Amino acid sequence: MKRILVAEDQADIRALLTLNLQGAGYAVTEVADGVAALAQETSQAHDLLILDLMMPGMDGLEVCKSLRAKGNSTPILMLTAKSTELDRVLGLELGADDYLTKPFSLAELLARVKALLRRAELLRNAQQAHPAPAQTLRNGSLEIWMAKRQVQLRQANLDLTALEFDLLLYFAQHPGHVFSRAQLLNAVWGYTHDGYEHTVTTHINRLRAKMEADPLRPEFILTVRGAGYKMREAPR
Amino acid sequence: MSIRFKIALTIFLTGLLTAVGVVSTVLMAFERFEHEATYYRASAFLERVVAKHPDMFDMQERFPDEFADFFRSLVLFEPDSQLYLLDSAGTVIVSTGEAKLPKGFQVALKPVMESSGPEPMPYVLGDDPERMDASAVIAARAVQRNVILKNPESDGYLYLVCHKRVLPQGGFAVFQSSFAKPTLWLLCIVVAVSTLCAAWVTAAVTRPLARLTEAMGNVSRQGLQEFAAGQSAPQSELLDAMPRAGTDEIGQLSKGLRAMLDTLRTQWAALRRLDHFRREGVSNLSHDLRSPLTATVACLETLENRWAGDDARTEDRRLVEVALRNTHNAARLVQSLGDLAQLDEPQFALRTELMDVNELLDDLVLRFTERAERLGVRMQASAAADAMLLVAVDVELLERAVANLVDNALKFCPSGGCIRLGAVAHGAQVWVQVQDDGPGIPSEDLPHLFDRFYQSRHSVAPATGEGGKGLGLAIVKRIVELHGGEVMVHKVVPTGTCVTLALPSPSVAPAQT
Repeated sequence: MKRILVAEDQADIRALLTLNLQGAGYAVTEVADGVAALAQETSQAHDLLILDLMMPGMDGLEVCKSLRAKGNSTPILMLTAKSTELDRVLGLELGADDYLTKPFSLAELLARVKALLRRAELLRNAQQAHPAPAQTLRNGSLEIWMAKRQVQLRQANLDLTALEFDLLLYFAQHPGHVFSRAQLLNAVWGYTHDGYEHTVTTHINRLRAKMEADPLRPEFILTVRGAGYKMREAPR
Repeated sequence: MSIRFKIALTIFLTGLLTAVGVVSTVLMAFERFEHEATYYRASAFLERVVAKHPDMFDMQERFPDEFADFFRSLVLFEPDSQLYLLDSAGTVIVSTGEAKLPKGFQVALKPVMESSGPEPMPYVLGDDPERMDASAVIAARAVQRNVILKNPESDGYLYLVCHKRVLPQGGFAVFQSSFAKPTLWLLCIVVAVSTLCAAWVTAAVTRPLARLTEAMGNVSRQGLQEFAAGQSAPQSELLDAMPRAGTDEIGQLSKGLRAMLDTLRTQWAALRRLDHFRREGVSNLSHDLRSPLTATVACLETLENRWAGDDARTEDRRLVEVALRNTHNAARLVQSLGDLAQLDEPQFALRTELMDVNELLDDLVLRFTERAERLGVRMQASAAADAMLLVAVDVELLERAVANLVDNALKFCPSGGCIRLGAVAHGAQVWVQVQDDGPGIPSEDLPHLFDRFYQSRHSVAPATGEGGKGLGLAIVKRIVELHGGEVMVHKVVPTGTCVTLALPSPSVAPAQT
């Protein structure tokens, strides 16, 4: 049973989150402020933290910052009542893995929680030195070691963020298969809601910028006009 | 024509007119003086002649030939004067002139009467028998036939005509005269000096004006930019560029302008404060409304999940659905308000990426196709398959802007309609267009379409989508403005509306990071 820590100063919202997370089969610990959240997390590990950004005493960003400074890599989902770029960027820069803007729908929250937990699982598996045969995907000069979560292109290591790696991996696992942005959002991010597709666009742009010689005329992640995106077929 | 030039010209012309006036006055006075002097001499001469020879008629009747010689000898040393003997009707009897006068030639009698009358005259102008086209100074004295018996009526007159000195040819010959020349020079000097003085004075007056103008120009050029940059520093250096206030009108003006600038500055600062409060207020309101909305949405969703398969709760489920839908609309409105306040922040920065706008439109069509199909509307991205149209945009924001337009189009598009997304290069701009073939927008609404909270009175659209209360299009406008572009909207013939987002073309491709 996955353990989730919910830090939210509004009692009503906290109770509802707990209720629904428990209903979805998670064990939930609730705290009402950042200091308590930090104490809880340091005393016993959780699988996921849900932090409200604005809390009395110590806000979500600070909790995030101090946890990451201690080397704690538990996935963090930020809840924010502001949608300002500043919060998003800061939140993600300071180590939050994802954010949700209030008011959100519970279905969306649960989907995000699931996606974060799944990704953490993959990461853990990769880090644990399983003597399992290292699975490698090849596509021309592109090589992906799934277990090590490493990518090489033309014999050089690519430095990708977790999300960029997941997106590239998903593409590489289905070469020649065309995906719409909504499908990618669902498969890689675990989002089910309309209105976040631009995230996919932005990430594809960034991936291309890192991988392609000419990002505007890509050779790996191709645009299929009117349908979506696909990874090129591996050259025989 | 600058004020300086106008004033100088006015003064110059005034001087010139004055000069002309003075000259003509002088000339007239001079002429009159000449006439008077001539007349005085002529009268005196006639007086002496009549006193010495009162019996002229007798002499003439008795010895006409000798009399003619004698008569001529009288004016021998007055080459410019001719002497005539007239009878009482003004008929010339004897003349000293060279010209042959016809028999019975008469001169006008009125001047003769005036000159010979008891009233002393300053001068009299009368006929010159030799030159009837011009009048000349004349003098006349009554002469009696019978010196012994004094008639009250005169029997005749001695008539002296003084010719004007004949001047050399040319209208300005008068200026050659020794009298006029110095006067003329003096006048020219006076006019020149006064013009120069005027020029100097106007320069002195207009120099501060020009400085004021420059200072004001600076204020209007840089002032607003300065304000826009968010510096509340007073524009002291601009104000210092203005002339120091004196007590004269220019000083007053300068003072007035300074005061005006000060007022403007304080008002601007007040406005900015107000605007800041407004944004803060809206932002905070939006923020504070989110928590209760979150709780409400969560509650309703929890209930919905609980009653999902419960047939006994059908009625309740419907109520929850209504509540949830309305709460979602409220949430969207709150969100839009907050976002608009945030987009209004002066320090809001775009995160631009260089990308193919056609790709973005394709993706948007994909995103909306399902919803459009449910409404029976077709979605089309009308772009050439291989065309690439680069724009440097904040993907999230631009997508949101176009999505809002599509949302709006979907609201108004009837079933069976079609929404077209397209992009074209247009000079230094890329035009992203969303066109529907809905009923179109009433012309009176077009100018206000993108105003905040403006809603067409004819709008029957449900309050859904972004804000639903006219905030969606305001957000579109703000996003496009942030990109340095503009929004245009026009009606399409025969029916429908086309909204154009004109974005600046990326001049230089930014380095890919």
